[in-house]
This record gives sequence, structure tokens and C-alpha cells, in this order.
Amino acid sequence: MRIVILSSSVYGETACAMALRMARLGYIPAGTLALRTLDRSTLLRKFGQWGGRGVARYARMKLMPNDGEGQGQVQNLYLMPLLKNGGGVFRSLHEVAHAYDFPVVSCADQNAPGAIALLKDWSPDLIIFTGGNILRQPLLNVPRLGVLNVHLGLLPRIRGMSTPEWSLLKNVPIGITIHYMDAGIDTGPILQSYQFSEASCCSLSDLRNRLIAFGVERIAEVVKALDEGSISATPQSDLDRDHQFFVMHDWLQERAAERLADSWEAFPGTVHG
Amino acid sequence: MPERRLLRDWDTQTHVRETHSEMTDFGEACKDRGKANNTATLAAKALSESAGLLRAPQRVLPLIRRLVSDKIRVTFEQTHLYSYTAAKRPSGEMLRACIAWILNAQRPDGGIAAYYSLLTGYSESYPEVTGYIVPTLYDFARTPNQSGSVLAPERAIRWLLSLQKPEGAFPGGLGCADAAPSVFNTGQILRGLVRAHGETNRSDVLQSASAAGKWLLQMQQPDGSWSGLGAYQRAAHSYYSMVAWSLAELSEHTGDRQYAIGAGRNLDWTLSHFRPSGWVDGIHLQGHSNYLHFIAYVLQGVLECGILQRRADAIDAVAKSAWVLLRKFETNKHLPGAFDRDFNGAQRFTCLTGNAQMSCVWLRLFEITDDLRYLNAALKMNEMLKQLIPSRGGPGIAGGVSGSFPVWGRYQPLRYISWGCKFFADALLSEQRLTRSFDMREFTVLSCAS
Repeated sequence: MRIVILSSSVYGETACAMALRMARLGYIPAGTLALRTLDRSTLLRKFGQWGGRGVARYARMKLMPNDGEGQGQVQNLYLMPLLKNGGGVFRSLHEVAHAYDFPVVSCADQNAPGAIALLKDWSPDLIIFTGGNILRQPLLNVPRLGVLNVHLGLLPRIRGMSTPEWSLLKNVPIGITIHYMDAGIDTGPILQSYQFSEASCCSLSDLRNRLIAFGVERIAEVVKALDEGSISATPQSDLDRDHQFFVMHDWLQERAAERLADSWEAFPGTVHG
Repeated sequence: MPERRLLRDWDTQTHVRETHSEMTDFGEACKDRGKANNTATLAAKALSESAGLLRAPQRVLPLIRRLVSDKIRVTFEQTHLYSYTAAKRPSGEMLRACIAWILNAQRPDGGIAAYYSLLTGYSESYPEVTGYIVPTLYDFARTPNQSGSVLAPERAIRWLLSLQKPEGAFPGGLGCADAAPSVFNTGQILRGLVRAHGETNRSDVLQSASAAGKWLLQMQQPDGSWSGLGAYQRAAHSYYSMVAWSLAELSEHTGDRQYAIGAGRNLDWTLSHFRPSGWVDGIHLQGHSNYLHFIAYVLQGVLECGILQRRADAIDAVAKSAWVLLRKFETNKHLPGAFDRDFNGAQRFTCLTGNAQMSCVWLRLFEITDDLRYLNAALKMNEMLKQLIPSRGGPGIAGGVSGSFPVWGRYQPLRYISWGCKFFADALLSEQRLTRSFDMREFTVLSCAS
């Protein structure tokens, strides 16, 4: 099984963890395609969004992700077991690629003709999406089986963005869905869904981090099952209804956090799984 | 001369005089008089507006400041999909700033100016907006922890009563009591009268409201629309659903069914103009774009009238259109200022009052459907608007909502408009009310149009 990983940055922890998990499972990536960390249009956009100080902080975070007191640490502690590298941690896809010998390529747009040509050269059976652009059909057509995504919500009920938060507010069970991507937003065929107990999570970011780590583990199982031919995808039902959600406003996020805190207080120390 | 009065009415009614496509578009009414004549009139009007700067050179600096500020913002505007930036100013502070803008715009006669132009300063009092700002001012005065006064709406009502014609109608246009009667403006003013009677219980206000309502019923066509004399360009318009809302309110307030029947007839007529795409036909403004302001008028009028009349078909139709616009807002971070049919051909500038109106529509839909996505979109829309409203500047600028962003956009260029402030204040008042009463009940996802 030839696997390619897409990432929003060469410093993406999830992408690094995913590449390591696949490599340790025996599926050393055929390549990884990451978006450039600092390109002009991104910086201009961020400048308009955050101002000069915000851009400086962003640039520093991207260029020196583990600078200063964060040296040797990772932002998502639940990925730490995967990212450990002797006494330190893998801090970029380049370091993972060096250890397992696969190419890492940066580009401005994963849908660009050059990027598509490169992906075709790698002739993947599967692409695993951990971040980047909204994928267009030419890219989706490249892999033999499809492009896999770990969606942090239970499809088809919660599509789109801020899905753990929306799940909390709407009393929909928390979980992840591993599915093939198609041209819609989280509308592709589903391979596997997993519920997840939020009762042990003390904050929204903690919940999100746990879900990401949970997703990296579960996608490894799905890839293995796909390789063995023991799993197949099911088209989503309910596509005629619009279950798309959008980035949640801060005020609603606070309400979601309160609901999470309520469940944490009700069941402290509950173990997820 | 009736025709001449009608032309003047065309020139001033329902904000349309101000909705021209360029600064040079002023004087729309002259279109019928031939293109050459029209161009000369437009040029003269533009020159006259610009000459405002010669009369008041102190306006040059605020004008330049706003132009530069918008140019910078447009250059660096965030276009990142799904991102949004929270404003630094809390909603309560912003609301007070908007209300202060409105109070500063209240003229000595008691009416509210239509706009503050960066070139010419305040306009004359505008009866239509003065009427429908009244509920906003009362809402603010009744808000907990606000120090709003009821004096301003009472002064406004006193002025409006002095403008009413014997047949019950109110004049179109700016500040001119002798202008021709206008259906739309009468409907908009009626909302203020109904609210004022609810607040003051004054019999003269009730009589005035009833006379206005009766005149509207007299002018209504058999198909439920308003066209002919009293209607802008003599055509029937779907955004006159705002008039139907006023009639429905009058009926609720007085218990007189005849107004509800008239409102229902117009609601049926307007609903027949909703297309499967969510688009609404029948805005029918010859020579004007389909500005978001008018689209939002249709939706707000149908929604509020539908709620009062318990018409699920009306609420569903609005929800479908509002959802199309919600998706556009969520993915593009703003709503275009104008559209072609079926929401195609979106234009690049933003009509801020239309955005504020859509926030009101989404908040109302959240209130009646419990779908949190409407609340989410409205909260983000309000954040976006807060960032585009100047916190500094003299009266007429600070707290003002410009017609367009950037300020030179096609809708009300270089002007801060009173109805923009009114709708944004309404949106902030609704936001405060709904977030205060928000409880953590289980919210359901209702099916929306995809």
C-alpha cells in the first residue's frame, strides 16, 4: 500500500505523528506534500487579520515551533508517544523523513498542476489528509483508493468546522469519522466511525487534542484493514439535509466549554475509549 | 402639479434616491428625460455634493482618513475561508455608540436625518427612517442597564404627526410635508406609530396609525400588492413586505382583522415571488441593482409578518433564502452588496445595512427555530460590522454605519446612513436579548435549504 500524506505545514504535529504511525506499521510514506510555511499571501492575510504583532508571533511559531521554553515539547501531549525520538521529539516532517527515508515537498497550493503531477509520480494507493487546501477533483482522482480524512465529529450529523464544539452544544455524541473525501464538505463515503467519551476532558483544546491522537491511532487500523480488503466504505445517508456547521463564535465556544465542564464535573476521571 | 410631485417623490422615496450605482448616479429621476440631460444633471449633482467640501473644509480630513483606512483594510482584508476575527469593542459599547449617532442625527424639528455625508454633512430629516427608528429607540430605552431616554422617540413622533396628510398617508422624500404620498414610507412610519402608542397610550397616535393603515388598505391592489400611485416607479415591489409587516402589527395591536387580511394578501403575493433557489423576484427597481438592503427587506418583512400571522410557509421560505445567504457569509466573510438573479453576479463591495438586516433575520430565525447556526452567523456578522464602524470622529461619523464598505462602494457612497445605524442597533439589541436569555437546552438542527 503506497501512502502519501498531505499537510498544512512541514511542522504539523499531526502530519508528523501520522507519518510515524504509518511508517511503524510498515507503510513508509511514498512522500509528503506540505503547504509552504511562510508565503507572501498567507502573511498578508494574517497581517490583515491579526496586525503586525500577530504576524510576528505567527512567523516565530512557524519558523521556531519549539523555541524557548517549549524546547523538546509538543503542543498536543497526546501525540507525544508517537513523536518521541530518543531523548527528544520529531519536530518536522523533514526529521521524520530523514529517519524513514521518504521525500518531503513544499508547495503553495496542493491543487496546482505541479503538485498534481508530483502526486501522480508517487502513484499512491491512498492519500491521507492532515491539513492543507480544500481539495479539488483532479487531486481527489489521483490515488487508486481515495483520499482519507479523519473528521472530528460523527458523520453525517455534524459536518464542517468546530465539530467537537457543535457536538457538545447540540448533544450529539462526540466522536470521529474516517471517510473518503469527495468534492463536498465532509460528504464522502464513510469507512469507520468511533464514539469518544468527553467526560475525561478538562477543556475544549484538551478534547480536540485527544480526538486528534485518537484519530491517528484509528486511521492506522483502517489503513491496515483497507490493505487486507476487510473494510469497505458506505455512502453517507441524509445528504439532502444540510448538516454543515461553520467556525463557532467565541461566545458559543464558551457555552460549549461550560457544557464540557459540566460533564467533567459529573464524571471526573472517566476514561475515554 | 401631481406629475412633478411624483417625480420628486421618485427622487427621494425609500432610500432609492440614495441607492445609486456611483456618486455620479445622483438624480435617478431624471433618467426619463433623456440621457444627455441626465448626464448633465448627474454631473451637476456630483459637483454640488463635492462643493460641500468647499463650504466646510473641515470635512476634508475625516474624508481622507476614512478613504485611506478603507483602502488599507480592503488591501489586507482577511479572505481566509472559515476564519473570523472578534472585535475588540463589546456589543454594549457599540450599541451605545450607534444610538448616540442616531440621537446626534435628530434635527431640531424632531426628525432623524437620512444620512451624514462626508462631503455635505447632515441631510434633512427623513420621515420614513424617523418612523421606523422609533421602535429601536424605545427598545434601547427599555434595555436593562442602559440610560436611554424616551424623549427622542416622542419628539420624533410629534414631528411625524405634523406631516400626516388628511387621507392618512405620509409623504415620501426628505423633510417635505408637501411631497406626494408614499405607500412604503407610510408603512415604515406606521411601525413607529404602533410602537409609540404601545408605549404612550396616546389616542392621537392611535388615530394616526389607524388612518395610515386604512389608507394603505385603500391603496392595495386586488392581488395584494401595491402599485400605481404611491408606489415607487408605480410598480409593485416584493420589498413592500415591510408594509405588510406594519399592517400585521397594527392588527395585533388594535385587534382589527381588516389590517391582518391586507397583510396576509400581500404576504401571499410576495411568497409567489420566491424562487426554488431562495432568490426573490419582484424587487423591481428599474435602473438600480438588487442591493442586499432590499433583499433583506423582503426577507425581514415576510418573516415578521409570517410570525405574526403564524404562517409556516412564510417562515420556511425565508429560512431557505436566509440559509443561502448564511452559507455565502460563512464562506466569504461578508455578503456582497448586490446580486443578480438567483444570487449570481455578486458585487465586490458590501452593503453594511443589508448585512445588519441579515443579522436581524438570522437572530429572529434562531429565536423561532432554535438552530444555533443562525445565532452563530449573526454573532460573527455583528463582529464584522463592529470592526467597520468608526469609534472616533465627530458627530455624524463616530458610531456611524456607512452605506458601503469600502465607503466608496455603490450603495450610499461616502455617507453614514441612519437606517444602517438603526438596523445594526436592532441586531445588537437582539443579540443582547438572546444571549442573556440563552439556556443550555438541547438545540435541534432543523433542515435548512442546501
